[in-house]
Amino acid sequence: MTLRFALAALLGAACYLDRTAAFQIMLHRPLVVATLMGAIFGNLTAGAQVGAVLELLYLARLPVGASIPPDDTGAAVFAGTAAAVASSSIGLDGGSFTALILLSVPFAELGRVIDRYVRKVNGRIAHLTAEAVDRGDIRAVEHGLLAGLTLFAITGAVLALAFSGAGMAVSKLLLSRFGPASRQEFSALQPVLPLLGAASVYSCSRTERTAAVFYLTMAAVFGAMVFFRWVV
Amino acid sequence: MTTGLSPSGRRRVWLRQFLIQGCWNYEGMQNVGFAYAILPALREFYAGRPDEALKAVKRHLEFFNTQPAMGAVIVGASVRLEERVAAGEVDPRSIGTFKVGLMGSLGAIGDAFFWGALRPMASAAGAILALLHPLLGIATLLILYNAAHLPMRFRAFAAGMEGQEGAVGWLKQAALNVKTEDRKLAAAVLGGAYGGAYIGRYALQGGDALHTVVLFVLGAAMVRLFTALFRKAVSPSDILSFLFLLGVLILWD
Repeated sequence: MTLRFALAALLGAACYLDRTAAFQIMLHRPLVVATLMGAIFGNLTAGAQVGAVLELLYLARLPVGASIPPDDTGAAVFAGTAAAVASSSIGLDGGSFTALILLSVPFAELGRVIDRYVRKVNGRIAHLTAEAVDRGDIRAVEHGLLAGLTLFAITGAVLALAFSGAGMAVSKLLLSRFGPASRQEFSALQPVLPLLGAASVYSCSRTERTAAVFYLTMAAVFGAMVFFRWVV
Repeated sequence: MTTGLSPSGRRRVWLRQFLIQGCWNYEGMQNVGFAYAILPALREFYAGRPDEALKAVKRHLEFFNTQPAMGAVIVGASVRLEERVAAGEVDPRSIGTFKVGLMGSLGAIGDAFFWGALRPMASAAGAILALLHPLLGIATLLILYNAAHLPMRFRAFAAGMEGQEGAVGWLKQAALNVKTEDRKLAAAVLGGAYGGAYIGRYALQGGDALHTVVLFVLGAAMVRLFTALFRKAVSPSDILSFLFLLGVLILWD
């Protein structure tokens, strides 16, 4: 178990660096993070199932200027871990799946608050860097950037540890308290989640040209699936 | 147009521009990252002139913020300008004017392309293919995004290194507005397919023709409702929290 949490912390550090500070090659996306967290905690497929839904939910919130979107990486750490743990105990049924996605919201918001705080601390680092450069120390720029990167990485590792621990606790202690009948009732909300994701994509891509295309494609895919059911 | 920057200096600046947000802060935003990226070039141009090197570093610690991938073109063009400043050909203040003039417009173009079009397209494709196999979904997301992202960083930096004219020429040639429209169209197709596939899964569970039609109309109406809520700045977290409360009420009942 220690090794699993150590891997989760390492993955968290890398993904949170990718989220803001370095490269932005999309390693921090919920599909990637939740799948890898699922693999670390014993079920890659369960992690991917929640990751595929979480991937689209927050797309409509863009990281533009000083605005910081909800921390969907943190939500994926929590939900990916919880899904993997749940699948090996009570099973990842529709109710558990829905509950985990909805329970990931506080982690997305907490991650955002902590992200803001990290950027405020970075302000202090930038200030100290400027002061050192004023005194003639050019290398302070490199030290300042290294300090910023280290802060992002350590915060990511700590958040990944805390959120994966919370995911494990929720699956083992909370979800198991609800019987299959209660979870079945909760699963009534499940169809709404992918539609919220589709709406996020539509919000981002909405132009005069794309509005009709979106609904026509939705109808075509839906129709093809219904036709397939009738034929088979 | 060639620069006096050595190949190793150029390589170091190119690699460092990936860390432009390494010390992102509310006051100067990407200022420390920008100064860090351009530092190897400044060290070469102002070798043996520590006071001028110091002034140059201070110039780049001023406020700076743009879309990170689009920052590559400004970093490249600033290297070129610094070389001319070091040679005494242009006024140092022109660098600040150039950066401020370009960062806002490039930020808007980059945000629309990367966050508003390319990422939704790659995410939707990844989420759909993850239904077939998780690793296929991840590979699709990463390849679709980075196949556009990494070459664009490379070309933007190279164009910037040719000077201001090179940067402007690249921007015209890249036709990012057309590419943004195309990616948005692809994202709309994939987003529609994702929504249709998920509602279709419930239609497959049974029901008559009327049930199937009602299911689709309800699904499309919900997408429309959520889109309207997003336009009114309602956060996805608010909608998900509302759903959670609804779930608790269902359980309570």
